[in-house]
Amino acid sequence: MARDAIVAEELTYRYGELTAVDHISFNVAESEILGFLGPNGAGKTTTFKMLTGQLKPKGGQARLLGMDVMKNVEKVQGEIGVCFETTNLYEQMSALENLNLFARLFGMRSFDGNALLERVGLPGRGKDRVETYSKGMKQRLMVARAILNRPRVLFLDEPTAGLDPTSSETIRNIILEERERGATVFLTTHDMLEADKLSDRVAFMNQGEIVALDTPHQLKQQHGKRALKAKVAGDDGGLEDREITLDTPETPEAVRKLFSQEKVITIHSEEATLEDIFISLTGRGLV
Amino acid sequence: MSLKRVGILLGKEFLHGSKGYIFIFSIVAPLVISLMVSLIFGTLFTGKPTLGVLDEGNSQLIPMIQELDTLNIKEYNSTPEIRQAVESGAVDVGIALPADFDSSVTGGGKAEIEAYTWGESLAKDRSVIAVTITNLIREMTGQESPVDIVAITLGDEVSTPWGDRMLPVIVLVAVFLGGLMLPATLIINEKAKRTLEALIVTPASIAEVFTAKGTVGLIVSMFMGVLILVINQAFGSHPLLLVMVLALGGIMAVEIGLILGILLKDFTALFTVWKTAGILIFAPVFIYMFPEIPTWIGRIFPTYYIIQPIVDISQLGGGWPEIAVNVFVLIGLDIILLGIVASMLRKTQRFAT
Repeated sequence: MARDAIVAEELTYRYGELTAVDHISFNVAESEILGFLGPNGAGKTTTFKMLTGQLKPKGGQARLLGMDVMKNVEKVQGEIGVCFETTNLYEQMSALENLNLFARLFGMRSFDGNALLERVGLPGRGKDRVETYSKGMKQRLMVARAILNRPRVLFLDEPTAGLDPTSSETIRNIILEERERGATVFLTTHDMLEADKLSDRVAFMNQGEIVALDTPHQLKQQHGKRALKAKVAGDDGGLEDREITLDTPETPEAVRKLFSQEKVITIHSEEATLEDIFISLTGRGLV
Repeated sequence: MSLKRVGILLGKEFLHGSKGYIFIFSIVAPLVISLMVSLIFGTLFTGKPTLGVLDEGNSQLIPMIQELDTLNIKEYNSTPEIRQAVESGAVDVGIALPADFDSSVTGGGKAEIEAYTWGESLAKDRSVIAVTITNLIREMTGQESPVDIVAITLGDEVSTPWGDRMLPVIVLVAVFLGGLMLPATLIINEKAKRTLEALIVTPASIAEVFTAKGTVGLIVSMFMGVLILVINQAFGSHPLLLVMVLALGGIMAVEIGLILGILLKDFTALFTVWKTAGILIFAPVFIYMFPEIPTWIGRIFPTYYIIQPIVDISQLGGGWPEIAVNVFVLIGLDIILLGIVASMLRKTQRFAT
């Protein structure tokens, strides 16, 4: 059985009167990818900062790799990699200078920056100043910086936000490769499809609390409704939409009627999306 | 704290931070001000100091002075003559050696010399003359004879040359531009660009990051302070003491810079503080620019305790006994500010939000 790489127990943080994170508890196993989802202001970033040692919790405890984060900040931070949502590279420096600086701070004696740049799809651009990079290139460099120390726990905050499909795909592949290597991944994202595709489990956060945490499949089973969606021939010669909710006592009769009474042109089943589930759980969207 | 990581961060600041305009400004501005003051007040191209001598007993001291390259010497025959020469500025300092001067000092007696000083002569010139005469007398007697040079200023007492009056301003600008503005801008820049966030999730602690930035400020501050004193030939006879005072002053500047860097969010706020609160930093220099202002007013301001020892050493020829009290106050202020910085670092968690 895999050990837990991240354990949050009753983790709490308040900004003055506002409780941003309210006694949340969860764990992430080694080599697991946890998608951490929620709208703006839900408390995701505050949780992210408490887990990475940037913020001291007002209550509860965060443990990474068996260590209390606040009591072992330096050790914990030597074992993690963090990719932030906002670009925070040294733009006047080249990509290689950026990577070399951080490699030295991690105490790495041998480090091949060019190989890492090639891995994230930036071959031959190592000596260019970061300020000349596009947003996608900068984001890939941020991911490179986050994984340069071969972290045991990788924290990614919206790593593909606003990127072109190629850059997004490159980053998703790297996340999966890192998991294959054995890293645990804590992935904060707005992108439900990305979370669904990458995550072993997802946690929904809303107003400082975790409202659901399970595998995407289980969440859909428990909270989503499946449906049949059909296009049938209309009386005027056009197409009309029909939808039948699955998994209810009325479903068989509704399906029989559809096929006996209408001319079905196309039909497919549709699962609930994570966004549908989030809305059904919280009554609000993700943005 | 890892000194290795501080060194890595320090290297980054010097390699990449040195291209920033504040870095360049903190080096160029004091030099430009110093050169302008030197050009305007004529201290840049002044020659050797001139010593006037009234020798009533064929002292051996005179040929010894004549052999030196560091002083010009002019001889006079009477007290009114030499006083007239000093008052008119023909010589910087005039000394009268009594007939029994040599026998008195070689016999172990205390050498007391009246030195008429031209009010507008440069402090460094007076200092050079005083130190030279003292050394020559000791050379002549072959022992550490006590030498008491009694300075009598002729002319207006407040006619200190503007080159000397401006020196505290220039030194303070040099120390505080590098010491205060550099760490403050480096921190604010890292906060604004959120690179500080990236640094503090590595094994590097916030204390290491701030130590590196403070060290950059201290090095630039001290370098510029020393350079300004070298340019103005104002090192006096105790250069090590002067460097120590500059270091303590640089530490104060750095600590204030770190506090501002922690508190302020952007450059606009920093420059507003620099313009408004700058008066607290530079207030003491007015007592040197305008000697009629009572000295006690200067003591209210922390930077007085940097400037006064520098003036004591570089312009008044003072040593440790003269500066000790002010230096201890300066050390106390540095310790208090260090405590404030440490406390703020512990309490401040959200540097990048």
